[in-house]
Amino acid sequence: MIDVRNLHPLEIRLLLGFKEGEKFDNEEIEKRCSFNPGHANQAVSWTLSKNLISKVSSETIVSYELSDIGRDALVKGMIARRIISLVAKAGVSIADLPKLLEEDQKSIGSDFALLKKAGILSVTPDKKIELNENHEIPRYVVVVESLLKRGAEGPVMDLDLSEEERAEMQKVSKKRGSDAFFRTIERDHSVYCLTDEGVAAGIELKKEHITGDEIGEVTKDLLESGDWHGKRFRAYDVEHVPVSKLLVARENPYSAFIRSIKDKLVAMGFEEFDGGLVENEFWNGDALFMPQFHPARDIHDVYYIENPSHSKKIDEPYLTNVANVHENGKGANSKGWEYPFDRQFSLRNLLRSQGTVLSAHQLTKAKVPSRYFGVVRCFRYDQVDATHGSDFYQTEGIVLGDDVNLKNLLGLLEMFAKEIAGAKEIKYVPGYFPFTEPSVEVHIKHPVLGWFELGGSGIFRKEVTAPLGIKCPVLAWGLGIDRMALMNLGLNDIRELFTGNIENVRLRRG
Amino acid sequence: MPKIDVNKRIFQKLYGKNISQEALEEVFPCAKAEFDGEEGDFIKVELNDTNRPDLWSTPGLARQLSSYVKGKTYSYDFFSTPKKPLDCEGREFVIDASRPDARPYSVGFCVTGKKLDDDTLKLLIDFQEKMHSNYGRKRKSISMGLYRSDRIDFPVIYKGADPKKNSFAPLHEDHEMTLEEVLDNTEKGKEFGHLIAGWKKFPYLVDSSGKTLSMPPIINSNDVGALQVGDSSIFIEINGQYLKQVLLAANIFACDFADLGFKVLPCKTIFPEETEFGKEITVPFYFQEKRLCPKADLEALLGTGISLDKAAECLGKMGVKSQVRAKGIVAFPPEYRNDFLAASDVAEDVAIGFGLNNFKKEMLTDFTVGRLSPAEEFNRKVQKILIGLGFSEMIFNYLSSEKEYIGNMLVSGEDAVRIQNAMNLNYKVVRPSIIPSLLKSESQSGQAVYPHRIFETGKTCVRDDNTVTGTRTDDSVGILECSASANLNNCVSVLNSFMYYLNLAYELKECDDPRFISGRCAKVMVSGEQAGILGEVNPQVLENFGITYPSFAIELDTVRLRK
Repeated sequence: MIDVRNLHPLEIRLLLGFKEGEKFDNEEIEKRCSFNPGHANQAVSWTLSKNLISKVSSETIVSYELSDIGRDALVKGMIARRIISLVAKAGVSIADLPKLLEEDQKSIGSDFALLKKAGILSVTPDKKIELNENHEIPRYVVVVESLLKRGAEGPVMDLDLSEEERAEMQKVSKKRGSDAFFRTIERDHSVYCLTDEGVAAGIELKKEHITGDEIGEVTKDLLESGDWHGKRFRAYDVEHVPVSKLLVARENPYSAFIRSIKDKLVAMGFEEFDGGLVENEFWNGDALFMPQFHPARDIHDVYYIENPSHSKKIDEPYLTNVANVHENGKGANSKGWEYPFDRQFSLRNLLRSQGTVLSAHQLTKAKVPSRYFGVVRCFRYDQVDATHGSDFYQTEGIVLGDDVNLKNLLGLLEMFAKEIAGAKEIKYVPGYFPFTEPSVEVHIKHPVLGWFELGGSGIFRKEVTAPLGIKCPVLAWGLGIDRMALMNLGLNDIRELFTGNIENVRLRRG
Repeated sequence: MPKIDVNKRIFQKLYGKNISQEALEEVFPCAKAEFDGEEGDFIKVELNDTNRPDLWSTPGLARQLSSYVKGKTYSYDFFSTPKKPLDCEGREFVIDASRPDARPYSVGFCVTGKKLDDDTLKLLIDFQEKMHSNYGRKRKSISMGLYRSDRIDFPVIYKGADPKKNSFAPLHEDHEMTLEEVLDNTEKGKEFGHLIAGWKKFPYLVDSSGKTLSMPPIINSNDVGALQVGDSSIFIEINGQYLKQVLLAANIFACDFADLGFKVLPCKTIFPEETEFGKEITVPFYFQEKRLCPKADLEALLGTGISLDKAAECLGKMGVKSQVRAKGIVAFPPEYRNDFLAASDVAEDVAIGFGLNNFKKEMLTDFTVGRLSPAEEFNRKVQKILIGLGFSEMIFNYLSSEKEYIGNMLVSGEDAVRIQNAMNLNYKVVRPSIIPSLLKSESQSGQAVYPHRIFETGKTCVRDDNTVTGTRTDDSVGILECSASANLNNCVSVLNSFMYYLNLAYELKECDDPRFISGRCAKVMVSGEQAGILGEVNPQVLENFGITYPSFAIELDTVRLRK
């Protein structure tokens, strides 16, 4: 049984307008329900599709409408009659006919031939037209003229025509085109009655006191006038309301992910740092105790700046301290890397290749105790593919404290694994970074991704901290968040994180 | 990170018993090794410690794992020390004063007693390649050669040679060519020739009867230098920039040969001047110094709870001999390692021997206040306002082509920061402005329903003589609308609302900028200083990006807005 509350007012009024067994057509619907033809059509089409009414019979009604040239013929008279009148007044030659009738030869030709054939006209040897004696106006002219007159009063119904009239009408009426006196109109005429469901719906409507006069749209006018008092509101098909796609502004899902990581780190007591994109070899490598001959400091690993190719200077005492610690470990109880430190090389400008550079900068101005972090853009000399971007984010940080040690580092990594990655299982394996000793990698079992390396960490070597003026231990860590970002965003290509496709951003969920 | 192929047969023999792949993966971390797949007779392994080249070969890895898992100890009797040089039975290697200054050091030794089989030869060549490419920085700081010592008339001589006047038949060539021609006419010459091209004298290795061994660091000779399966007498030579590096490489090779069953025969290297280890060095040569890790340092790094005796046991598992003293623990680095620079290096080996997963995890106890950077705080405000104004947030890469950042934008690009060694011209320039990023995005989004309203808060970078690096990184916000109604009126309306919510007063000052239509472009002034620019985008710029919708753009320096 259909829910009558979801019916449209047009449907309701139709269902309430007719009784069981009663037959009706569109015209009757218009009259009974006070519909215009459009409303009647809609009401019929909707109730038919819901099987509330059914078609009892259907026939095609043919009628004929006077066309523009038909109307013209009615005013001027038909060509045949005009030829007769003209010839009756005076002798006329065939050649003069078009001029005198102001018609072209083509439209005159057929009527003239018919008149001649019917013995009404004849043509003398000198091409004069003569009217024969006892002539009568041809029958077809009379019939067509009467049809034209009837057509001027309104469409001529085929049903009303005699056999003879119908035969003539078919010669002067066409379905298409404008070169006939009439246009033939064919229209379906159907008769309907309520189905059992329609009858039942009508009963239900009455029971529910639904009249079809319920309020549709709630308008400002309606509310201002108070006209809604005492009235009912039309119900929607609430569970199947059609929806349209809205064009909205969205935050970027990857940026939002990065913000969430930052928020978590702030919640864990970390203060954010940031810095410029261009660094020099000193901060990018030397200060991190990477020997200048380290394989990762090759031209094929970092991007060098074309111009200006070098920094103007490196601040003291850092330059001298770092040079010493590389050469002989001075100041850090170390033997150093034992090679001649090249101060010119240190000035070489490059694009930051690791976030740890900013940790090194931070050490020169750090408080104790303190915790710092940065989610920063880095650049590497890599072939761009699904797992390597031309530039990418690194999440890095440091913890300074007089008593921080490896146990705290492991505790910190555990906190990251649980709070940031939602890991249940965690394991630690020895890692290698030139700037930390000991170095630890943390691997986690992610609920979706399985085991993977979440990050690298360690305790900064004294060779890093001492030259920058730090006397306490410093825990350093970096997290790889891009795998989690890809998973969060349902992607598997790192390049997609920086998509330029606006639709991707507007429609991406999560 | 070096990746190596471990020969399963040789590994099994050296390790002494069968070990499953799972069990291997379990203990790999002690060598900072990662399982990277299996292929026929080989296990692929990635080694993370660039300071431990001794692990980059099958014998070296087997040695570390045997120590760690089975407590096996290794001692080698062929090492000389400064005080106790071993007898070389007449094998001498003379370094001539004429050798190039940029590659002053070369050392060598011999091995014998076993015929080279296929597996061993491949293993040696693989290891040599790893040493060349990684530790030797593509042969720049280290290169080495293996020679058929039964064909050598000692002493071997390392000297500098005139590239035009000396000639030999290089490996895989049957005719002689001059040293200079070798650079142009051989594959290795083309690949590594740049290392010595232009030198007045080329590095050259010959024996006392004038037979050529090689032209380091390029290629061996096709005679003495063509090592083959079945050979059982080998001379190993290593040359480079730094003495300790070449000595270490020699030591590693010697230990590997010994583990493989060869007898190592020392060779006396005679330098033309004093080195830090004297004028004569008998190689293999032990040059490590003992390293003290004071108890206080050990506890500062690892926390309390590991006794010095326990620490000594842990070091033993790592193949490191040690002595417990009152002050702390003294480590004696193995001959094949040169990575004990400081106490922390001893502490790390203790930690690995102890097992990282066996440490008690402790939370930090210091109280610290967390906070976002002022730039991030401000950016978040900007993001919220712009999303409220109907703009979607984008995030873009910072590198692109000259065409995108400069050419398409009709700007001179004189303030742009370019990369010298760009791998690909698509990543040549650091973006000087966010606007081209936004336009590129628009050009990729023709399918998206209009209107398009996007923005990004991000960094831009330009040259600036007033800074140390000569460049300046700015925090900026870029805004773009592409729609039928993207005109200056709407552009200024967006700016006006934006500034209203930031509670900032601004003025517009008409200006000319090729990126915008003349007469429809203005500087945004805040407190009398330029904070940005806005306007209707020049149709030529739009055409350059393939955009056919009217567009306006705004770019503001958020550092200035924050002031």
